[in-house]
Amino acid sequence: MEVTFKDVSLSYDGTREILHHLNFTIPEGTLVSILGPSGCGKSTTLMMISGLLAPTSGKIFFGDKDVTKQDALARKVGMVFQNYALYPHLTVLENIMFPLKMAKVKKPERKKRALELAKLVHVEDQINKKPGALSGGQQQRVAIARALAKEPSLLLLDEPLSNLDARLRIEMREEIRRIQQETGVTTIFVTHDQDEALHISDHIMVLNNGDMQQFSSAETLYDNPSNLFVAKFIGEPVINTLAIADFQGELDQHVPADILKQAVSVGIRPEALQDHDSGDDTIAAIETTVKEFEKYGREKNAQLDFHGKKLLTTEIENTLEKEQKLTLYLQKSGFYLFDQDGKRIFGGDQDVK
Amino acid sequence: MKVKIAMVLRYVILILGGIIMLMPFLWMLSTSLKTQPETVKIPPIWIPKQLQFSNYIDAFKAAPFAQYFLNSIFVTTVTTVGQLFTSILAAFAFSRLNFYGKNIIFVIFLGTMMVPVEMLIIPNFVTLSKLHLVNTYAALIVPWLASFFTVFTLRQNFQSVPDQLYYAAKIDGASDWHYLWHVLVPISKSTITAVTVLQVIGSWNSFMWPLIVTNSENLRTLPVGLQAFTGDAGTNYAQLMAASTFVILPMVILYLFLQKYIIAGISKTGLKG
Ligand SMILES: Nc1ncnc2c1ncn2[C@@H]1O[C@H](COP(=O)(O)OP(=O)(O)OP(=O)(O)O)[C@@H](O)[C@H]1O
Ligand SMILES: [Mg+2]
Repeated sequence: MEVTFKDVSLSYDGTREILHHLNFTIPEGTLVSILGPSGCGKSTTLMMISGLLAPTSGKIFFGDKDVTKQDALARKVGMVFQNYALYPHLTVLENIMFPLKMAKVKKPERKKRALELAKLVHVEDQINKKPGALSGGQQQRVAIARALAKEPSLLLLDEPLSNLDARLRIEMREEIRRIQQETGVTTIFVTHDQDEALHISDHIMVLNNGDMQQFSSAETLYDNPSNLFVAKFIGEPVINTLAIADFQGELDQHVPADILKQAVSVGIRPEALQDHDSGDDTIAAIETTVKEFEKYGREKNAQLDFHGKKLLTTEIENTLEKEQKLTLYLQKSGFYLFDQDGKRIFGGDQDVK
Repeated sequence: MKVKIAMVLRYVILILGGIIMLMPFLWMLSTSLKTQPETVKIPPIWIPKQLQFSNYIDAFKAAPFAQYFLNSIFVTTVTTVGQLFTSILAAFAFSRLNFYGKNIIFVIFLGTMMVPVEMLIIPNFVTLSKLHLVNTYAALIVPWLASFFTVFTLRQNFQSVPDQLYYAAKIDGASDWHYLWHVLVPISKSTITAVTVLQVIGSWNSFMWPLIVTNSENLRTLPVGLQAFTGDAGTNYAQLMAASTFVILPMVILYLFLQKYIIAGISKTGLKG
């Protein structure tokens, strides 16, 4: 099911607007992540898609159909909540059967479908247990099975992995990807973990303070962040950010003068600072002082001082000494300029939004 | 060593408390097996010379206790079921639905909890007599079909259930009605059991109200029926205690079976409220 938001805004109390004029289309059959810091409005967006919450203004479409006025019962989406929200008094199998019972599916058919789903999410050996007797990962899978039970055309997942330990998290996100690809259901996955979003989704929507920052593939987000927020939010280690005033002429001649005049902030990814000149890919060179140098395994990290500002690089070939002078070469890919609104005006592919 | 003394002391106090609480029951049992002279003997005796089991038979025959039993069971059952039904609906409304004036209504209801029951007897009686309901089963039942104490206790419990469970039920296609009876009520089992038992006991033991609103023999409930042993010529204590024993026996059994739920239910709402 294709989901479209047309100019959707939301306020809970009528005074403070939580989401501002959202416009986007989620293509059918894809897995889309909504990514953003805590409190930016991810769950709220999901609640509006599910019909549990009505937008204050704007319209929501499923395919061509305007569903703005329909409630959750009518929209028939599947949803997995942040804390799974399994029915504690029912067994695993009864939990999965619950939506089917509501849809008045006959008992034998209900049971058959529930067993199939239990198999799909690998909980077939747990079906007679109550949710309280399951591990977090098992509960999560039961919640997914329950959400899939009525064969929704849309599956919504609200931070389903946030309660799991690191290893299980990775396992589970692969599982979600597998189930999504096996069933082909359009899936919207909310997370505040960029790693999760980058690995699982076809497209990522970055949200901040109720504004959509960018909606594109993981690669595009990284290579062509549309603004300073996205550049800072995506990428590990975090991009180096400097003010344009921190440069003392190093960028003149290398960046068009009219762009340089508008620029306010500079973003340089740690891997775009090399200690060796790569010719065409190098934009400019800067003089720095080494403050810290760390080497573990193949990785070499250096903290540098540049006109009193700190820079981090991961692209060091030689072994460095503390306080030594070092020339660094800024690489084209991973070097960005942003204007006073934070919009990217230089670096990356200027045609990509 | 200090810990041990504290432990011993604690148990001694608890056991003493237990004995004091049990004393009236034991006295009742003992008296129910005495002869009439033994009941008033001074100094009092605990163990009768010969156990008078015949007191039980005589007591049961002294008044139409079979009828009283049926009345008590009927009134208690209808009152409890009715009160639970209205309270569950009201508690759901107060905990989950949004309607105009919800908080004000809630505060007013909360205020009614401060009014002692005794103060309501006269206005309730006047209302019933205006409705020509005095001396009917309705008089015994209708005034107790709503209880804000039960509403309040259940509301506290319903509110501790996470919102997401409600949303999940909505997403799964459940109506409010279905969510209430098939999700919320089953998971609130222990609190509901606790308020049910309290209500059953209260209803079974209630004396003042049935005494006031009924006067015909065939409407009497058990506690009122116990008056049969007090007459102009004095009180037949032995038979009275024998009758009291079989009157409270069902409640004691009920409590023993469900005490786990009662304690859990009460302490849970206690922490929340
Ligand atoms: N029921 C509500 N009433 C009023 N304000 C709310 C309500 N629910 C959320 N908010 C506010 O809306 C904003 C967005 O909340 P939302 O739950 O959508 O954030 P989120 O992105 O899901 O955050 P998190 O990652 O912490 O789950 C927050 O500022 C929050 O305080
Ligand atoms: Mg959230």
